[in-house]
Amino acid sequence: MKRHVMGIDFGSTTAKCVILDMKGNIVADSVAHMGAVSGEGVKAAIRDTLDKAGLEQADMGRTVSTGYGRRMLDEADKNYTEITCHARGAVAMVPGARLVIDIGGQDSKVISVDSNGLVAQFAMNDRCAAGTGKFLEVLARAVEIDLESLGDTALEAKEKLKISSMCATFAETEVISLLAEGYAKTDVLGAVHAAIAARTLGLVGRVGKNGPVVMTGGVAKNPAAVKYIQDALGMPLHLPHKPQIAGALGAALLGLDDYRKQTAYVISEEEDMAHEDQMAQDKACIPGCRGTPELVVDPAEAKPAPRKGGLKSILSTLQDNL
Amino acid sequence: MDRSDIIARFAEVAQDPLAYAAAWKARTGKQVIGSFPMNFPGELAHAADTLPMILQESDEAITVGHGVLFPFYCGYTRSMVDQAASGKFDVLDAIMFGDHCVQLLGAADAIRMKLTDTRVIFFQLISSMCDPWTQGRSEESFGKLRDELEDFIGAKVSDAALHASIRLFNKNRALIRKLYEMRKAGTAAIRAVEMQHVVKSSMIMDKAEHTDLLQELVASYTDAPAADRNVRLHLSGHFCQAPKPELLNMIESCGVTVVGDDLYHGFRYISTDVPETGDPVAGLARWYMDRNTGVPCPTRVQNNVDWEAYLLDAMREEKADGMIVLMAKFCEPHMYYYPEVKEAFEGAGVPHLLIETEHEGMAMEGLKTRVETFVEIVKRREAA
Ligand code: SF4
Repeated sequence: MKRHVMGIDFGSTTAKCVILDMKGNIVADSVAHMGAVSGEGVKAAIRDTLDKAGLEQADMGRTVSTGYGRRMLDEADKNYTEITCHARGAVAMVPGARLVIDIGGQDSKVISVDSNGLVAQFAMNDRCAAGTGKFLEVLARAVEIDLESLGDTALEAKEKLKISSMCATFAETEVISLLAEGYAKTDVLGAVHAAIAARTLGLVGRVGKNGPVVMTGGVAKNPAAVKYIQDALGMPLHLPHKPQIAGALGAALLGLDDYRKQTAYVISEEEDMAHEDQMAQDKACIPGCRGTPELVVDPAEAKPAPRKGGLKSILSTLQDNL
Repeated sequence: MDRSDIIARFAEVAQDPLAYAAAWKARTGKQVIGSFPMNFPGELAHAADTLPMILQESDEAITVGHGVLFPFYCGYTRSMVDQAASGKFDVLDAIMFGDHCVQLLGAADAIRMKLTDTRVIFFQLISSMCDPWTQGRSEESFGKLRDELEDFIGAKVSDAALHASIRLFNKNRALIRKLYEMRKAGTAAIRAVEMQHVVKSSMIMDKAEHTDLLQELVASYTDAPAADRNVRLHLSGHFCQAPKPELLNMIESCGVTVVGDDLYHGFRYISTDVPETGDPVAGLARWYMDRNTGVPCPTRVQNNVDWEAYLLDAMREEKADGMIVLMAKFCEPHMYYYPEVKEAFEGAGVPHLLIETEHEGMAMEGLKTRVETFVEIVKRREAA
């Protein structure tokens, strides 16, 4: 019997691949840049993951793909949308998560997850690249700064400026005129990130604000994006160590469900315990996750105690005494 | 003709309605009357020996029409004005409007301004449906329309002719309803786009010609119920314009079988018959009122019917697993009503997905991801 499954996220700017063993542990993962159209990036990600795991494609019991190119992969037995996969991956990384914010290269999505970890509602940027990694990329170019240092520079912003256009091209014009007016690069970049946060908050509004919130996708690695979104939401964001692989992990987990069912694989109690211990050690489901494993109730979200003497308080006293 | 030929013929007419009208006119030497949706009694124009056709949104980009109507009008009205301004409606001898929403009224004015040589007939449709005077006022309105038509053709429209047209239109509607029944029961695998071709061509073609083909089409389905593992969905919304065929095809390509709809280019158009006896004008007024209890429309005001309750009921009967709402951008009646539908569906735990459509086209790949996700949600919820 084959003892591994693979998840591939064939995105617009990067390709991600994850291999899991039958217990659901990550054996290897990889992120490769570009080549989405030619398929080179995805091939490299698959090869790299297989090499790291010391396995071959033929060793995979199930291969599931997701992302824009999900239907283009011969290796995949099945494909699911990035929304289903990101939700599944993010909930595995931060158990109990109820909202997933995923900002990738060309799309951003907000997914609300019910108490069973299933997608309840979702919203995507359906008009343009506003509020995506592409938006940041275009504006980084306008400010002449490389993408990697974009977030740190924006964190130094002191003055609050506003970029009102959501279209990347128009926003670029705004950025250039702000710079021409003599505003500091740091402040202009702060405004760019505030614009992304506002756009994200708009998507959150469409599905309903709920916590705990996980942020995945490449933009989760940008500290300024995280800070501004966190401030706009008024809630903490849980950040997995490898936010980019959430979709591939979700795809692999869906494949694992399927493969376990097909092979009637039953996880032994011992294995399950070992897995739980490992999770506790790693403080998450995936090694090195920076997220908070316990369900954190955001203070702003916590229900206030019923007003003393009010109807709700009387009812709850009655209920407690029944 | 075999089944695929009939559907191909319907599709051809649906894709180029004005070409059909021009050919019909050349063949018969008779007049063509274009009308706006959604409540025009085509029976009246038919009884006046003209070809009534419901004017259709065109696929063409809006060009000269931009100078006449603002871009925040719905795609249907903008397309109507653009077609009028670019001379596409020259084949029409008259155009008839019933006021059913503010945007349509704006478009009517713009068309009047552009087509100074075309007879434009306007009739008032009462929108408050459950007042004691609704029937009377509707009779008055349809009566006036009959007078205007008689004036336009220069002859009387007899009750007998009107009754004959009513019978023919009823027969046509009943045949299409039969197709809906068969699709629901799984005995006729009619794709959503094929159903649209059937209904849309019925809005355009000579009714007798359409009915003959339709009879053949209905008889061609002798299939036994087929097992189908797709997700069963209801399509709701889209009033005046037909959803783009590529959108319907995309939806079905995501593992979906459309088992019912309340689209105007669908069940809404053929839901209700006109009484075949009694005063025909009173019958048309009755039909106008019954249509809103049959398939409620958010452009009408009727306190004792709820569109959302109708939808939930229809879906139970269709054994639909979920619903896709197709909302034309800037369609105000739909936009303002949708929150009620959303609340009712969420309350009932019935999944639905809202898709806003645009005349200018949509990013199909992103939409496909949304529909596929919706299908995955419906499937996983059922499995859970
Ligand atoms: S009902 Fe909607 S689609 Fe029809 S004319 Fe009015 S706004 Fe346009």
